[in-house]
Amino acid sequence: MTIHQRRSPVSLPARPVKTEMRDGWTVVLEYADEGEGPWLIDLSHRSRFDIQDGAIDQMTPWGFSIPKVPLESVFQNGVLINRMNRTQASIWHLAGETPRLPPESAFTDVTEAALLIALVGKPVFSIIEKLTAMDLQDSRKAPPFLLQGPVVHVPCQVVVFKRSTEQSAVLWTCSRGYGHDMIHAVMDAGAEFGIRPAGENALSAVV
Amino acid sequence: MNRRMHLPTLRLDPQKKVAIQYGGRSYQGIEGDTIATLLYANGIRIFGRSLKYHRPRGLYSLDGECGNTLMEVDGIPNVRTESTPAKDGMIVKAQNVIGKTAEWDPMGFLDKFSWAMPAGFYYRTLHKPAAVWPVAARWIRKAAGLGVLAPDFEMKGRYDEIYPKADVCVIGGGPAGMSAALAAAQTGLRVVLLENRPWLGGFFDYRPAVYNENGTLYERARVLAEQVQQVDNIRVFTHTAAVGAYNNNLITAVQRCGGAASFDQRYVEIRAESVVVATGCIERPLLFENNERPGVMQVGCAHRLARTWGVLPGESAVFSIGHDLGLEAAVDLNDLGLKVLCVADVRQDGQKEALLSELEKRNIPVLKGWAVVEALGRKTANRVTLAPLNGTGSRRFDCDVLAASAGLTPLTGLLTLAQGKLRYDDHTGFFLPDKLPRGVHAAGRLLGFDDAFSVEASGHRAGLCAAADCGASSRREIQTADDRLASLPGPVRGSAWVPVSAEGKKSFICFDEDATLKHVRQAMAMGFDVPELIKRFTAAGTGPGQGGIAGHNLPLFVSQTGLSPAPDPKPTTVRSPLIPTYLAAYAGTRHDMSKRTPVHDSQLSAGGRMERIGVWNRARYFSEDRSCRLEVENVRNNVGVLDASTLGKFRIHGPDALKALERVYVGDMSKVSPGRIKYSAMCNEDGCLIDDGVIVERGENDYYLTASTGRAGETAEWFRYHTRYDGWNYHIVNLTDVFGVINLAGPRAREVLQAITDADVSNEAFPFTGYREFLLWSAVPARAMRLGFVGELSYELHVPSSYMQAVWDGIMDAGKGFGIRNFGLESQNILRLEKGHVIIGAESEQRTTLHDLGLGFLWHRHKPEAKTVGAAALRQTEEQKGRLKLVGFNMEDPSSPPPKDGSVIVDGTIRGYVCTARYSVSLKAVVGMALVEDSLAGVGSRLEIFEDDCNGNRLYAEVVKMPFYDPHGVRLRM
Repeated sequence: MTIHQRRSPVSLPARPVKTEMRDGWTVVLEYADEGEGPWLIDLSHRSRFDIQDGAIDQMTPWGFSIPKVPLESVFQNGVLINRMNRTQASIWHLAGETPRLPPESAFTDVTEAALLIALVGKPVFSIIEKLTAMDLQDSRKAPPFLLQGPVVHVPCQVVVFKRSTEQSAVLWTCSRGYGHDMIHAVMDAGAEFGIRPAGENALSAVV
Repeated sequence: MNRRMHLPTLRLDPQKKVAIQYGGRSYQGIEGDTIATLLYANGIRIFGRSLKYHRPRGLYSLDGECGNTLMEVDGIPNVRTESTPAKDGMIVKAQNVIGKTAEWDPMGFLDKFSWAMPAGFYYRTLHKPAAVWPVAARWIRKAAGLGVLAPDFEMKGRYDEIYPKADVCVIGGGPAGMSAALAAAQTGLRVVLLENRPWLGGFFDYRPAVYNENGTLYERARVLAEQVQQVDNIRVFTHTAAVGAYNNNLITAVQRCGGAASFDQRYVEIRAESVVVATGCIERPLLFENNERPGVMQVGCAHRLARTWGVLPGESAVFSIGHDLGLEAAVDLNDLGLKVLCVADVRQDGQKEALLSELEKRNIPVLKGWAVVEALGRKTANRVTLAPLNGTGSRRFDCDVLAASAGLTPLTGLLTLAQGKLRYDDHTGFFLPDKLPRGVHAAGRLLGFDDAFSVEASGHRAGLCAAADCGASSRREIQTADDRLASLPGPVRGSAWVPVSAEGKKSFICFDEDATLKHVRQAMAMGFDVPELIKRFTAAGTGPGQGGIAGHNLPLFVSQTGLSPAPDPKPTTVRSPLIPTYLAAYAGTRHDMSKRTPVHDSQLSAGGRMERIGVWNRARYFSEDRSCRLEVENVRNNVGVLDASTLGKFRIHGPDALKALERVYVGDMSKVSPGRIKYSAMCNEDGCLIDDGVIVERGENDYYLTASTGRAGETAEWFRYHTRYDGWNYHIVNLTDVFGVINLAGPRAREVLQAITDADVSNEAFPFTGYREFLLWSAVPARAMRLGFVGELSYELHVPSSYMQAVWDGIMDAGKGFGIRNFGLESQNILRLEKGHVIIGAESEQRTTLHDLGLGFLWHRHKPEAKTVGAAALRQTEEQKGRLKLVGFNMEDPSSPPPKDGSVIVDGTIRGYVCTARYSVSLKAVVGMALVEDSLAGVGSRLEIFEDDCNGNRLYAEVVKMPFYDPHGVRLRM
């Protein structure tokens, strides 16, 4: 019985060559033939939290500050905090020890709610502009920053994590149920750029 | 194939050959050829036949301004061959012709009967007697039309979409557009440049005329193009036609690919801060008899054919023109080997002396104030007649090419789509922008500029203005650009309107629709006296050329008649797409985005027949048996398992969470208590049922609730909307995808559940309507609700989605000894129908209140604080007469098939309708629910049911009490 086994909403079309078990998840660290990028990385096993509170500005989860301005993000010690609106922020754990759910009622563990993927590489924006009309290259915004809107017509939270001519990274979440079709759409859009699935290790280059 | 391959202006790759098939023969061309230039280079002069008269049609514009050269290519009809690159192996067919090629068409005799097809033919003819029309329509459709498309046609090719971002979007890659792009880009802004042709250069690209002491116009075009390509923040899309302009500078375009790119066509959508329209001009056709005869072409067509593709348009030519580009083309083409016999210029004066001098040097006579009045020739032009505009006499020339153009007309379609206002300008003879919306600028030739430096300066200024819209350039810079432009030659005088004295019965104002001047006159005689009405009555300008040919001449002609109540010429309306665009291009990549539950794959592997229910894929059946007998019986006798993960699930928390619940639910939510579920409903302001679900309390001011699948997407907003003025401190989190839901139902459900948990799930410890949280297999947290939607002992297990598949597999394994099997949505539908439970949307519609469904008991009318949404309406409609009420019924004839859902209940008139009816496996009878008028709602009433294909044989049913199955609810509580 493998009842403890947790599953990502998606399986990427590649052969895992290095994996590890983590809190019930089989985390792929590396796939065969990952190439030089661009890479699509499934991070759905990473913990995510919703925080909603009228006094959110005064809150410091795990000692981290929450951005004061909606659509701003901060990345601190492996934790990405995205201010969504006046009372709400999303927290994505990307590296390091998994933080525990704080006891305050303002927090909700929403790890299971969404697909979380990262697109890393040079032509990231060329790929994603085939999927969304949102402006990820707005020069007035400095990464990391948050955008909320449709990607392939599906409501998403998109974070431009890194933007440079050599390597950029964009992360986004959508409802878990859309995972299969979202992966298909991203792989299709990235085909002309040689997109390949990559394991979690590929994220370490940008995180 | 004798081509001028030495010209520096060519856009061909002579090393690469292509061959296409046409009329059963193979024709050779060169990479860079369009289909039309390849065929023309091989001597093809007739490309198709016209819509109504089947007149021969040939190459006319090279930019697709009319439908003359629309052909079927690789099975796709109406391909614009003038702008479609030829690819090796293409199979090309002529359209609207009987036969292999357009050279000979037996339907050509229709041209002799054009008198029988006057203006408004379709509106006026063959309507009386009415019975004639269906027959006539069939024959007309056979004889006319553009291409054939089978109903099951599947578009080949790969269609892509892209949403590039821009601060400034420049439309038109000519000298003005390139200058605008460079000016805007130098401020650091992101610039997108769209060009319809496969290369930048515009009207400089093919012209060897002198630009300055350092070079020619085409060399200048290449310098500018090089500069543009070298600027990182200018993104160039060539072979990309802008087809639409919408509010807030949303520009849509379609990119056609001729090379090895990953798509055949690509939909491009750009949201820009500012837009520069520098689309230049096209030529305004001359109106004369047989002005569309193959061999007659626009000046630019003849010139570009030679200069860009190395193909001389013929052996000898006459020019009838109205602008200096015509003189320039006559000189250049003569030098390239086309024998130019004469140039007729509608202008009496104003020509560039240098060009007149060059013509004189070559002994080419120039007739000022003359124009062509007729082209002769059976299939292609072989003789033309010239005549003075004011005077008598005429001259005839034998030739195989007539380069004809009345003047220029600006391409203002995008400005109009962007809500810009145009006015007619007497000096230029153009419809010029009079008022443009903020963030939209015009530049270049479409403003009347002709001088090369003026065109560039105009573009430069527009680019700076666009940058200023983005806050990136200064007024001083713009003033400098203004001064520079003012120091250069301004807009040139346009050519005069060419009076048309002939009857005009074969003077075509619109080639696509075979609409002539005679038709326009007929329309005006019948009272259609403004261009918009004439356009509709004659169809002029409504063909695939999108008004390119007729767009300017029609309003000018109507104005010149002096018979229109609107004396000033006004352009007719243009609409997007500005050029014919494949629906496939708009569809783009067509990613079909839908949601899958965490156990989607195992549902499939278990034989589930998946259906789209809203955004979700769900299993409706698990066998071919649509009665679902085995699935239903198994739930009634053993245990079934249903994937209910699509249920909406929410957490609502905060000090005022209860107030919010009280506001949107009709029930008394203060009665929600730990360990118990509360079923309640939501109504809209009209008291009509919109959702139902259960609520549980998980902690202080912390609740977990479910919503129906269809409403899950709106539930959070529904709460927020209805509490938006209260300032309440509560928060809602959508957990729909966080939990998968397994509905374990049937008399043996408890045994299965007990096998997978250490928790006590006995009837005493976990009773009906109870809520518990426990671990499955001592590992997986589950939120368990004891419910009874299907009328049996039943549990809803909410488990984290990532564990869902493992839990599902474990339950199926644990349930083997208890006869567990899947059941799908249809089985659930039958089971709940037997129990008399409603599904919102099935037993309700937008007018159905809680009372109508017999659920009024859910409404708590005396809530202490919150004003319940819909309460006022519920109060008003509680005793309201004339409402449809939900009833249950049994079919009188037990062997009768169930009436279709939605069948109407009649009694001389419509008295209601059947909501759901099915054969009940449990009851061995057909049962159903219907919404009927009060008079039929009593138990024992007879319902007469009409189905759409009953052939007069009504079905009959009797209203009975509900629920049909287990009326006392014993099985729910067992």
